[in-house]
Amino acid sequence: MRVPLGWLAEWVDLPDSSEALVERLTLAGLEIDNVARSGPELGAFVVGRVAACERHPNADRLSVCRVDVGGEELDIVCGAPNVAAGQKVAVARVGTTLPDGTRIQKAKLRGVSSSGMICSARELGLSGEHEGILVLPEAAAPGVPLDQVLPGAEPVLEIEITPNRGDWASLLGVAREVRANFGGELRLPPGQPREDARRADADVDIQIEDRAGCHRYVGRVVRGVRVDASPEWLRRRLESAGLRSINNVVDVTNLVLLELGQPLHAFDLAALRGGRVRVRSARPGEVLRTLDGAERRLEAGDLVIADAERAIALAGVMGGAETEVRDGTTDLLIESAHFHSSRVRRTARRLGLQTEASYRFERGVDRDGIARAADRAALLLAEVAGGAVSAGAVVALGDPPAVVESVRLEPARVNRLLGTALSDAEIEALLRRADLEPRREADGTLTCRVPSWRNDVERPEDLIEEIARLYGYERIPSALPRGELCPVTLPRTRLLAERARDSLVASGLDETMTFPSVRRQDLDRLGLALDDPRRRVVRLENPLVDDEAQLWPLVVPSLLRVIAHNRARQVDEVRVFAVAHVFRARDAGELPDEPLLATAAIARGPLAELWPARRTVPLFFELKGIAERLLEDLGVEAHLAPGAAEPWLHPGAANEIRVGALRVGSLGEVHPEVAERYEIRDPCGVLEVDLSALARAPGRTPRYREVSRQPRLRRDLAVVLEREQPAADVLEAIRKTAGGLLVASELFDRYEGPGVPEGRVSLAFRLDFQRADRTLEDAEVNRVMDRLVQMLAQRFGGERRQAAPAGGEA
Amino acid sequence: VSAPGVEPTGFEALEALEREARAAIEAAEQPQALVEVRARFLGRKGSVSALLREIGSLGADERARAGALANAARERIEACVEQRRAVLAGRARERALESQRVDPTLPGLRPPRGHLHPVTRIEREMVAFFGSLGFAVEEGPEVETDWNNFGALNFPADHPARDAHDTFLVQGGHVLRTHTSPVQIRAMTGRRPPFRFIAPGRVYRHDSDATHYPMFHQIEGFVVDEHTSFAELKGVLIAFARHLMGPDVRLRFRAHYFPFTEPSAEFDFAWGDGWLEWGGCGMIHPRVLENCGIDPGRWQGFAFGMGIDRTALQRFGLPDIRLMFDGDVRVLEQL
Repeated sequence: MRVPLGWLAEWVDLPDSSEALVERLTLAGLEIDNVARSGPELGAFVVGRVAACERHPNADRLSVCRVDVGGEELDIVCGAPNVAAGQKVAVARVGTTLPDGTRIQKAKLRGVSSSGMICSARELGLSGEHEGILVLPEAAAPGVPLDQVLPGAEPVLEIEITPNRGDWASLLGVAREVRANFGGELRLPPGQPREDARRADADVDIQIEDRAGCHRYVGRVVRGVRVDASPEWLRRRLESAGLRSINNVVDVTNLVLLELGQPLHAFDLAALRGGRVRVRSARPGEVLRTLDGAERRLEAGDLVIADAERAIALAGVMGGAETEVRDGTTDLLIESAHFHSSRVRRTARRLGLQTEASYRFERGVDRDGIARAADRAALLLAEVAGGAVSAGAVVALGDPPAVVESVRLEPARVNRLLGTALSDAEIEALLRRADLEPRREADGTLTCRVPSWRNDVERPEDLIEEIARLYGYERIPSALPRGELCPVTLPRTRLLAERARDSLVASGLDETMTFPSVRRQDLDRLGLALDDPRRRVVRLENPLVDDEAQLWPLVVPSLLRVIAHNRARQVDEVRVFAVAHVFRARDAGELPDEPLLATAAIARGPLAELWPARRTVPLFFELKGIAERLLEDLGVEAHLAPGAAEPWLHPGAANEIRVGALRVGSLGEVHPEVAERYEIRDPCGVLEVDLSALARAPGRTPRYREVSRQPRLRRDLAVVLEREQPAADVLEAIRKTAGGLLVASELFDRYEGPGVPEGRVSLAFRLDFQRADRTLEDAEVNRVMDRLVQMLAQRFGGERRQAAPAGGEA
Repeated sequence: VSAPGVEPTGFEALEALEREARAAIEAAEQPQALVEVRARFLGRKGSVSALLREIGSLGADERARAGALANAARERIEACVEQRRAVLAGRARERALESQRVDPTLPGLRPPRGHLHPVTRIEREMVAFFGSLGFAVEEGPEVETDWNNFGALNFPADHPARDAHDTFLVQGGHVLRTHTSPVQIRAMTGRRPPFRFIAPGRVYRHDSDATHYPMFHQIEGFVVDEHTSFAELKGVLIAFARHLMGPDVRLRFRAHYFPFTEPSAEFDFAWGDGWLEWGGCGMIHPRVLENCGIDPGRWQGFAFGMGIDRTALQRFGLPDIRLMFDGDVRVLEQL
């Protein structure tokens, strides 16, 4: 809403400083986004006195003037017929830019040089008229900037109005708010038109058929108008408020809308068939051509204004083209009505038609201001369009709107809710400023009458807000809460999410966040089976981008895209993760399942020239290390089993992550075909852990075990096995066979090559033996080692390798 | 120096031998050479021993004197070897240090380090602060019912209050939650006050430009007790702003409208010459309490919510919110 300050000042007293006004209104909830300026900037022009004026020697219609602009005289050639010596005029000096963008330069006109321009009203941007130069009042002093003499640009408040305060969408509403904050008088413009002898109801019959849709309909008839351009003051007023001038009739209805917040519509009475107005629901299939020229197909429930035959306007939204006021229209029906806000809103939204009228009806209009707006419009029409106002308004009533007329307030409640210490008298005074007319009851409570324009005040809290607003939020004290403490809990998934983030960051991964959608092709690209439950995608009905209508059932496609995005930008190593909820549809009507997943992806470009040369570990093992660390940090007893449980993983380089029998995730290199579909040409791997599933699994807390003071005996055991033999099984068998003396064991080398037969591999294990109670004897360990060698030979066809394993330490 | 009464050739031989030994010792450049030199002169089969054996043929008196002289010479040679050994060891250490020298101007080898998303970092600071004031963390789903996202929060159907929430509609009549306020409904329903909760989470609006990404993060806080007041709401938010932005931060509360609070306010912090909008807050609307089965005659509460992303944007000086959400590690690794 744009409110020119000068206009507002006609309605209410303003504080001296506009900064104070802006600040106070903003704090009171009328947020002022900006103070713009509207109208021509006149500060660059000066007042001049025409000291002498002579006929141009070489041109009949030009004059050569000597103009005093305050301490300096300029010679200016002027083409206006009305220029004369002694006049006070508006002068644009050399270098001044006119509102139309023309820059005044020194010029020679038919041999006489001219240093400036004497301006017409149009050249100053003041009006469309061009009947010669603008002659200023005699009192204007030469040299004074023109903006001190003429009203030019004025500040305009650009106000953002909250949806509860429809009443603020008018000059009157803003003026009331100014008065509530600063005091003073409200000055309303005149409202009662002089009426003709002819009665309005002789020309029109109005009835409300859809009584729920329209609470009140007031019609005023104005006859014998002349549709024409609006007078200057009206045009400028509308333009300063951001509306376009159309003609004097439409402009009057818009002016009243701006003044009082009541939308009006003017019908061409002659186009109204049967002299009848009916407010009714649209008939299914009914079509109406609206003022903007569009054919609107209506639905039952749309509220329309109809004449004897057809719909002629969309109630509260837009008028129809066929009854539009046009050149030659002489008789008018002015509509001022109170339509049901939801009905207007539904139609306006369905048709995508938000208008000044629908905006105000949706927010609610002053239920007692309907007739006043019609009267004011009739009065103005008679003034600017020359019509005669028929006697009386034609009024039809529908169901009365649901209103709360009064609200009771316990004054003590105000201080309890706000934490203030306001006295009863202060509370009453603040309520009075808000026009809430408090009346003290015998029991000490206050009964407030709710004004007809305040459809937002329903309960004591609404009154308390008014008190707080006008008292000033900044004056309410501040204090920390007191009260009972309550136990603080943390959802287990949140705990796991935070641990997962910390673990993955510690492993060198960057956290990413993206909009949670997958593209149409993504699930096929991943190779997800047609019956995979993750194909039950949750869909958006109104996506921002067509191909982002599916909420992600898994994060993998997004991260693959992040990998490709970064690799395309020459980032050599990309290590990223996301901890996010995914969406999987459940039965109709139910909210989707939203498991929380930790998903990570890593990829490497060619690392040839890294400083210092990095030992390259196969990508799979790097990823697996990240996963092992993650599971350890999550504090769950998970194990990794070989096998690609997911179609996007490489069948020969993947693990699934299990807790007991439950599969909670997967990791592995990305299947080359899948990588290719995402335009990733480097090795990359993906890790996924379902944190929601883990949250249901039992946690594991590390327990202290006694640290033995006895020395350890360390033995290395290298064994040559079939190449395909999984190492984990071998290690597991060693642990089982060795029994309690073996306190630590790990695989420390895997070797193929010279010294090991083709097709076989050497695995080297480091085994630590220890007893808690005494020093271990060599012989005891030797016996265990013999058992191990024997077991490895029998179960795995393994052969102990005596030489120091290649790559192992001495 | 020749001693009187001793056959000069024997003594001379000793002297010559000592001179020869000293020269050989000084000439030894390697520890191994020194070992060999020592063996040559002082070993059991060495020259000094041979000389001493010759002394055996002398008379008793002379033998004693000659023995003493020879032993003294042996000790001197031994000392000389020790000295030389120390010199050689010192040189070896020098050489070792020299060979271990690195180019100290080369860059350090950094262990891999990842980065938390800026939003996560700010969110953690926020959650930690409210945790210190006894707020428990509560969560809710991102796809919500219309009732939890709007209805229970006192948004009337067909009311322009919904226009401020550009809503993503989800098939089946649900919505992507437009704010974290539905968590209020979930947390309060079936619970008995007093309580204090904080609800950080992802929210969605149908909007995208330099200052809006369709997904963003809010943190919601709410307290319900018998005397929870607007003054306490201000107190908590002021303390919070100071914690996050320093003790000199200025906060301003403006009257505003939210369907689920009454009175309602927006709060801004001073930034440059003006104010930056930070969040919304107010006293929980009695109808919201009623919708959650809480008696508004007895209990009252406040609620607030603010954008985490905006705070991150301002903290890290990011010009465009979308920079945080396209996964560009060149951006993420700076922050």
